[in-house]
Amino acid sequence: MPITITEQNLRLLIDTLVKAGTRVVGPKAAGTMTLYEPLSAGEELNLGGLPRRSAKETFFPLCETILTYEREKEGVRVTDVDPGSVPETLLIGARPCDAAAAPVLDAVFSWDYKDEFFLERRRKTTIIGLACTRADDACFCTAVGLSPADTRGSDLFLTPLKDGGYRCDAITGKGEALLAAHAALFADGDGTPAPLAEPSPGAMDLDKIRGWLDTHFEDPLWEEIAERCAGCGACAFLCPACHCFDIVDEGGEAKGARRKSWDACGFGKFTNHASGHNPRDVQPQRYRNRIMHKFKYYVDKFDQRLCTGCGRCIRACPVGIDIAAVLEEINSKGVE
Amino acid sequence: MTNSAQTIDPALYAAATDAVRAEAKKVLESGAVSAVVGWQAGRRPGTAMPAIVTDPARVNDLIFSPACVNNLALYLTKAKKEIRAKGRIAIVAKGCDLKALVGLMGENQLRRDDLHVIGVACAGVHGANVDRTLPLSEATIARKCRECAVHTPEGADAIVGTLPELHRFTPTESEELARLEAMAPAERWKFWKEHFSHCIRCYACRQVCPFCYCEQCMCDRNRPQAVETTPRPAGNMAWHIVRAMHLAGRCAGCAECERACPMDIPLNLLNRKMAKELKELYGFEAGLEVKDKGPLAEYREDDDQSFIK
Ligand code: SF4
Ligand code: SF4
Ligand code: SF4
Ligand code: SF4
Ligand code: SF4
Repeated sequence: MPITITEQNLRLLIDTLVKAGTRVVGPKAAGTMTLYEPLSAGEELNLGGLPRRSAKETFFPLCETILTYEREKEGVRVTDVDPGSVPETLLIGARPCDAAAAPVLDAVFSWDYKDEFFLERRRKTTIIGLACTRADDACFCTAVGLSPADTRGSDLFLTPLKDGGYRCDAITGKGEALLAAHAALFADGDGTPAPLAEPSPGAMDLDKIRGWLDTHFEDPLWEEIAERCAGCGACAFLCPACHCFDIVDEGGEAKGARRKSWDACGFGKFTNHASGHNPRDVQPQRYRNRIMHKFKYYVDKFDQRLCTGCGRCIRACPVGIDIAAVLEEINSKGVE
Repeated sequence: MTNSAQTIDPALYAAATDAVRAEAKKVLESGAVSAVVGWQAGRRPGTAMPAIVTDPARVNDLIFSPACVNNLALYLTKAKKEIRAKGRIAIVAKGCDLKALVGLMGENQLRRDDLHVIGVACAGVHGANVDRTLPLSEATIARKCRECAVHTPEGADAIVGTLPELHRFTPTESEELARLEAMAPAERWKFWKEHFSHCIRCYACRQVCPFCYCEQCMCDRNRPQAVETTPRPAGNMAWHIVRAMHLAGRCAGCAECERACPMDIPLNLLNRKMAKELKELYGFEAGLEVKDKGPLAEYREDDDQSFIK
């Protein structure tokens, strides 16, 4: 028997969890935008638009301190931040393009080096995904093998019903546990799902795209597309799948901290060597890296793509670079 | 108000598009320039992106529409050496963009002789977060265009397009600035603190600014670190103060920094405030005439020093 929840009970679920001390993160109005932010009550949940930044910061924050130092009489005291101190979290209302990025990130953060900060947050996070009933002209999840109803990465998945409320599908054990723990808020029953969003770019031949990338490290296309690139980090910073970070020590002689914060391959100094040499010294080379990493290197290494088609980079790019258009263009080329 | 006073006729942009193409073809074919920097349509309806056209056969890619928001002067700065290397360049410029070109000439970053400026008579462009498929109107026009004083880019080598009868839009930016100026300092501090707390340090504001051409931005330095690079309150505040100070008296007011900001931070309010201060203190204003020295790049005995306490 399928299970449903009313909008009101969904908000009640948030209230209950917040009261119990769980950190609940979900889409919330923030000035002119919607952002995934910690909610202090169910009424703050705002499921209207796609949040401006992705949900990745639930496990990969914009900035986090990993150790602190302080000068003492007898030298310097260095204190590691305990990754275990992160709280249990419920991420609610994650769009399929955001939820699907979680397993993509798991691959890189648990590969040769286990990033305990990321992995602890992931272990402690339960994700409630939400099907999309609206897409704009930047959305293209369907082109990269996902869909507005894709449950990848979600522990529990909500499908909006035509007459209000949501159908709830438990996808993982975490999802089942959440259902069981709050059974009173859910009801047995079914309903007619509201029509799903229909992003316009249809499926693309991703193998063919990778095939082209395999043989076109050097190609005039990179210059054609990317000499306009301004070299900012908006695309990577808004992307649910980009995961580059920088580590810096900040503070003074007496005390300070070592911090990890987002970085982006679009930045001019991204691969600047200490010698002063920069192997990717012009923007087209940096943009090529972005596409190669997303649709070739990551696929070669982890058999996953580093793009879920959320369209955020397209909406945000100040010079109009459109990754879906780039893929369409590559897709239309024959593989020699 | 009649209906025609409320929206700007899209046909004007179609005519300007034709004229941009004709001029680009002329200068490319004659060999007067080796590249034309203009705009071309994007994949999504109502979008455009910068285009660097070197082949006369491609001039029909060029457009002028309310989606042509970018200040293309960016592509002639040090940050874009690849493009300058192409030789003498033609650039399509709106009035506000031309102010940036002029400023760059004043700073010895550009030589007038190296450029062929195709100025477009511009009635306005789309604002951020609007329905781009609609014509320009009170609801869709950019904030800067509501108070534009340079609809016609004087001093260009060619002017394309014609201006419609211009009507008055509500000057939202001035109103907002007046509202901020009326606030008590603590309240104003709170306003900016809140906005800056959203800053993710993506540097889109810096990267699209024609005047942010330093090869080494002090905000990227880490040995020693001048400004915290992580997106935390202290570093964010420092970053924005540093930038406002470095742009004071240089900013051309194109509002690209604000448009590019993915976090909707109203950066142009800061620029406008600085411009106002510079005008009051030094009688200086960014305009369409090349000046050798900017107010913060020269010293005069009669400069106002009352602010030094
Ligand atoms: S690359 Fe762009 S479209 Fe793909 S997931 Fe990242 S932000 Fe979204
Ligand atoms: S695309 Fe660039 S910023 Fe994103 S993960 Fe890859 S290298 Fe990092
Ligand atoms: S400010 Fe003036 S010149 Fe610039 S885009 Fe707006 S209307 Fe055109
Ligand atoms: S500071 Fe902003 S408004 Fe001023 S010139 Fe730079 S991008 Fe344009
Ligand atoms: S563009 Fe906006 S978010 Fe990015 S660094 Fe500038 S102010 Fe911050």
